[in-house]
Amino acid sequence: MRAAILMKQFALALLMWLGCQNLSLAQGLPDAAVRQQLIEAVLAEGEDQPEKIEALAETGSGMVAAVLAQWRAGNLLVDASPDGAKVLFTREGIDAVRLDTGVKFSPLAPREVETTSKTRKAIKNALDLIAVASPDPELRSAAIGKLGMTRNTDYLPMLEARQVKESDPGVRKALVEAISVMQLADEDDVVCIAAVRKLGEMRSIPSLDLLKGMITSEDESEAAKAEAAKSVALIESYLKKVEAAGTVFRGLSAGSVLLVVALGLAITFGLMGVINMAHGEMMAVGAYTTYMVQNIFGGGLTLSLFGFGAHVPGMNLTGAAYQSYFIWAVPASFLMAALVGIALERGVIRFLYKRPLESLLATWGISLILQQLFRLVFGPNNVQVSSPSYLSGSFVIHDVVLGYNRVFVIGFAIAIVFVTWLLLTKTSLGLFIRAVMQNRMMASCMGVRTERVNMLTFGFGSGLAGLGGAFLSQLGNVGPNLGQSYIVDSFMTVVVGGVGNLIGTICSAIGIGTVDQTLQSVTDPSMGKIITLSTIILFLLLRPGGLFPTRTRSLEG
Amino acid sequence: MIKTNLIKAAATLCVAAATLTSSVHAADTVKVGVLHSLSGTMAISETSLRDVLLFTFDEINKSGGVMGQMIEPVVVDGASNWPLFAEKAKQLLEVDKTAVTFGCWTSVSRKSVLPVYEKNNGLLFYPVQYEGEELSKNIFYTAEAVGQQATPAVDYLLAEGKKKFYLLGSDYVYPQTTNLVLLEYLLSKGVPIANIGGGLSKDKAGKVISAGKYTPFGHTDYQQIVAEIKKFAASGDACVVSTLNGDTNVPFFKEYAAAGLTAEDCPVVSFSISEDEFRGLPADQLVGQLGCWTYFQSIESPANKKFIGDFMSWLKTTEVPGIQKEGRVTCSPMVLSYAGVYLWKAAVEEAKSFDVDKVRKVLESGKISFDGPGGTVTMQKNHHLTKNVYIGETTKDGQFKILKSFDNVYGEPFLKGTFKTSSPAKGETTKKKKKAA
Repeated sequence: MRAAILMKQFALALLMWLGCQNLSLAQGLPDAAVRQQLIEAVLAEGEDQPEKIEALAETGSGMVAAVLAQWRAGNLLVDASPDGAKVLFTREGIDAVRLDTGVKFSPLAPREVETTSKTRKAIKNALDLIAVASPDPELRSAAIGKLGMTRNTDYLPMLEARQVKESDPGVRKALVEAISVMQLADEDDVVCIAAVRKLGEMRSIPSLDLLKGMITSEDESEAAKAEAAKSVALIESYLKKVEAAGTVFRGLSAGSVLLVVALGLAITFGLMGVINMAHGEMMAVGAYTTYMVQNIFGGGLTLSLFGFGAHVPGMNLTGAAYQSYFIWAVPASFLMAALVGIALERGVIRFLYKRPLESLLATWGISLILQQLFRLVFGPNNVQVSSPSYLSGSFVIHDVVLGYNRVFVIGFAIAIVFVTWLLLTKTSLGLFIRAVMQNRMMASCMGVRTERVNMLTFGFGSGLAGLGGAFLSQLGNVGPNLGQSYIVDSFMTVVVGGVGNLIGTICSAIGIGTVDQTLQSVTDPSMGKIITLSTIILFLLLRPGGLFPTRTRSLEG
Repeated sequence: MIKTNLIKAAATLCVAAATLTSSVHAADTVKVGVLHSLSGTMAISETSLRDVLLFTFDEINKSGGVMGQMIEPVVVDGASNWPLFAEKAKQLLEVDKTAVTFGCWTSVSRKSVLPVYEKNNGLLFYPVQYEGEELSKNIFYTAEAVGQQATPAVDYLLAEGKKKFYLLGSDYVYPQTTNLVLLEYLLSKGVPIANIGGGLSKDKAGKVISAGKYTPFGHTDYQQIVAEIKKFAASGDACVVSTLNGDTNVPFFKEYAAAGLTAEDCPVVSFSISEDEFRGLPADQLVGQLGCWTYFQSIESPANKKFIGDFMSWLKTTEVPGIQKEGRVTCSPMVLSYAGVYLWKAAVEEAKSFDVDKVRKVLESGKISFDGPGGTVTMQKNHHLTKNVYIGETTKDGQFKILKSFDNVYGEPFLKGTFKTSSPAKGETTKKKKKAA
């Protein structure tokens, strides 16, 4: 989110600059004077450089913001002109634009204008000061928040002046918070205590450390200390609630990831009884399909097929059209994995329905073959799948961060569960599937083409795994070993839920996810995993059939 | 009669010629071992070191070899299997009788071959950043010690005004040890213990045995940790010191970006991500995050330009099977491997012998140095290098933009327990109040 804000900040600054180039007069100072002031600040080498940079903010010129942003990004360069004078310029794409006149020129021996940490801080503050007047409320809040945390009381009058004009409620809140933080250092105890109380009432998490510091400080009055303790207690209890809500959300999303990866297995292993060790590789097929679709939408890719380089041309899309690749990648990965699954079923598994142990070995062998195939075609390194903009970022509700990708995975899990449920209960194929799984012989006698149903069921289960893989590409690595890292989790989820029961898989996925996240928040990740796994072993000892054991009268079980 | 004589003469000549060539051959080459994992999990990182070593040998052979002798590499595969490393080391020393070995990446592989080298009085050059706390007379560590990576990075962050440090790493010996050293270092710099995030665990006597947060290899779910960092960084001036290894960085940085944390507000400095790792990492998600190494590919120096150019053209022409030719980069462990070979060469030429004890004596003299791509490196008496340290910022093409450099940093392996905790600086609230009082 902040990154997006920064991008916006930069784009906005640029826009403003373009607009202001000839309009600086209207903003008070003539353009040439602003440019002169800028150059002076950049070339100043003494102790007062930070001051000069921050003073630039007062010009209110959009050009200043644009140049400062360029400077910070390392795009402000200096060139020695033939007469020895220093010529500052910025890079606009391939063009070099002189800072003193604003015209293009070709530099001779350019080098970057160096920054020290002090100058960078000053640039950052100046940009924040300029952003306080930005038309975008989100930018204003972010800038005000940052200025508040500098605790530099010099900004106080400016913020107070802003408070009078401000109408946006979000920005007003940020202003009150920033001003209160600054007032903590006020000489007047009354003001200080009022600020402490205000921050407590606002449940201001950023100021928690400051308030805690006040309690133990020797220079605070007893009244201020008592008030700070009260505020700290308020904020901490709020923080506990935030964390609890966050853990629930994270548990749900971790559970959804488990569900997405395990649902396909719940069908191939749970319903069909095939111990499919190649399930993880079906996910990898989905993830690699996503990668292919991404590159076809972008610049194309070269695959090495047994020593021959095959170039797949790309469509060279950009912007929203490119970003939409993921929407196409989802069905593509389902289809691809389903096709591979069907081929696998026709080629190998159908001969092994009566021999589960051999099917375990055969599918394990296939998983190794597929892994090596990925290595040959895509290389041993992980491939990069970028996150489209609508899946990166987050929104914040009461200080609980909800990542778009995490919200999406929850919705995604609900959607595929719903579709699976529809397919199994509302379609004739679903009826056949259930019939075949319950009693193959009887279904066959009733005229159901069991071979075909087997094939489609396995294809559907593999397709779901492919969907899982498409989604995992947004959360982690896409590489030849992708399947390996999720296969154990998938089997665990299905077995705990009760083999042959989809509802059980859903409950166990959400359950394991929540327990794991809760344990992670109280212990550490390694310990959390150990406790989760031990609990599962204990649970399975007590209830071998899982959460919802399937009761059946048939002897083949 | 004449005929038999002729045959005899011819036979003798042949034998003589054969002995001559073989003896010339034997006198003209020196066997050098390369011990890296060329298969298994570590292969992705370690094959690059094999490549750069072969390149270095070719470069040296082209300019006349070591003391006039051509280097004959003996490449063995440790296969990411630590006991196998020891076996292969034994083979190099006892069967192939190599004069020196360049190799190992993980600390556990180094620990596994260490007794073999000590027993056979061999010579090993180790090129990858490590946790220190070790000094074998048979190993020369061209690697970054903690004081050449972790502490300069922290110095930089402190100078940038960072006050809170969150320690995060993969769960094995290097991150654990490094973070313990960092904890002492931060405390000695006046950072209060409350400002060091990630948690501490203490033994019964109250001694800190582990600082920071650790995740297992292959961990994929960083939600909880990122939420914790978000809370930790809420009050500003925070940063993350990461020793996360390999591809666990991908889910971590994806989650980090999704939570709205940026390099602006809370930079992450990683000690295990170099240019080579970016071949498998989405660099665009890490833009602005920091790295700290003793070499970056982006160093602007004639020596570095030449090194990169020569290496890239060597890659194009080499006929060694299995070398990836596309999209290659150079990184610190590669350059330290490269420097190691040249340091050994210089020492051999100074000692005028391949004998391990003589070479070691010269190396320990402190006079052997090499002007490498990362600047001048000098071998110290304690088997570590004095070298330059660079702090860089990740750019979107997977390179680093250098922000700061520290020249000639001394390599000290034993840092634990050397920093004295100073009393924490008083909070700023306190300072500001003073003018009122």
